[in-house]
Amino acid sequence: MFPALWARLKGSLKEIMLAYDPATNPLNNNEWAFPLCEIIHILGFAFSIGTVALVDLRLLGLAFKSQPASKVLKDTAPWTLVGLVVMWISGPLIFSSDPVMYLNNASFRFKIGALLLAMIYNYTIHRKVAMSEAKGAGAKLTAIISLALWVSVVAGGLFIAFV
Amino acid sequence: MLEFAQWVQFTGLFTYLRSSAFTYPIILSLHMCGIGMFGGMILLGDFRMLGISMRNRSISDLIDQLRVPKRWGALLMITCGILLAGSKAEEYYYNAFFRVKMILLLCVFVHGWIFRKSVYENTKALDAAPQVPAIAKVAAATSLLLWTGLVICGRGIGYIEPPLDKIHAEVRPMDVPRAVGAVER
Repeated sequence: MFPALWARLKGSLKEIMLAYDPATNPLNNNEWAFPLCEIIHILGFAFSIGTVALVDLRLLGLAFKSQPASKVLKDTAPWTLVGLVVMWISGPLIFSSDPVMYLNNASFRFKIGALLLAMIYNYTIHRKVAMSEAKGAGAKLTAIISLALWVSVVAGGLFIAFV
Repeated sequence: MLEFAQWVQFTGLFTYLRSSAFTYPIILSLHMCGIGMFGGMILLGDFRMLGISMRNRSISDLIDQLRVPKRWGALLMITCGILLAGSKAEEYYYNAFFRVKMILLLCVFVHGWIFRKSVYENTKALDAAPQVPAIAKVAAATSLLLWTGLVICGRGIGYIEPPLDKIHAEVRPMDVPRAVGAVER
């Protein structure tokens, strides 16, 4: 059942992609639309990654040392979500400007992989460790992995233009 | 100034950076990570002073705790920024967005200096006040405007085509912005 479903889904996706003409996308026909999306995307990651980084700094013992990590997490979590929503609106818009190029871009593929990993990690292990008040090497390792994942996402996004 | 820019970009380090396939984008990535990590702290601090985010936390808490990480962030962003700017100094000399960005950066320092005594080193008094004082809100709103402007100009730099007839450094195809409407099927 699943292979058949997958084949049909793939077929419809292909049809949609064939029918879609990026040249008709306003992002490609307006001088300001594309840069505006990029700027919103950049401000969005200041929120999403910036707030995750605060929790990481706490886990590493570099900021908010007088408070439990769970408090830092609870205070920043809504803003992480705001940032992620902004990213998941501006990102697909940017993608829509030239889907075929992005899908064939190695750096884009890496970025999406890193992003999915980073998001899953953030809402599972990272969250659990921060809420459990874990201390020492385990907490630090959790923070370093989190930072490394998010840095990969940013770098992967930027390298799209360079590979 | 133009002579200085030309001299800078042809020093060994910056020539290497400009022509490198990966070092240049890696530094650019670090510059962007700086925005991600430390731009976020600035946004949160400013939104707190405007009374929008983290109202269950005191202002002094947020501002004082983030002071040191913010300094590290500034160091990272400025270091990477100098490396990036130096490698294309002559081109950027002509770039309007780059010029505005430098002016905004100067404004950021002036902003910090103006509001240091009354806001940033006065956080205990801000906590004690029944409402966030107007001067702190002005400081936060100005800071938000300045930093948004910096991001916009930073992104804008890449959209101005290098003046090929004037500059002496080699320009790689990836450094020339894509023209609007260039996407074809």
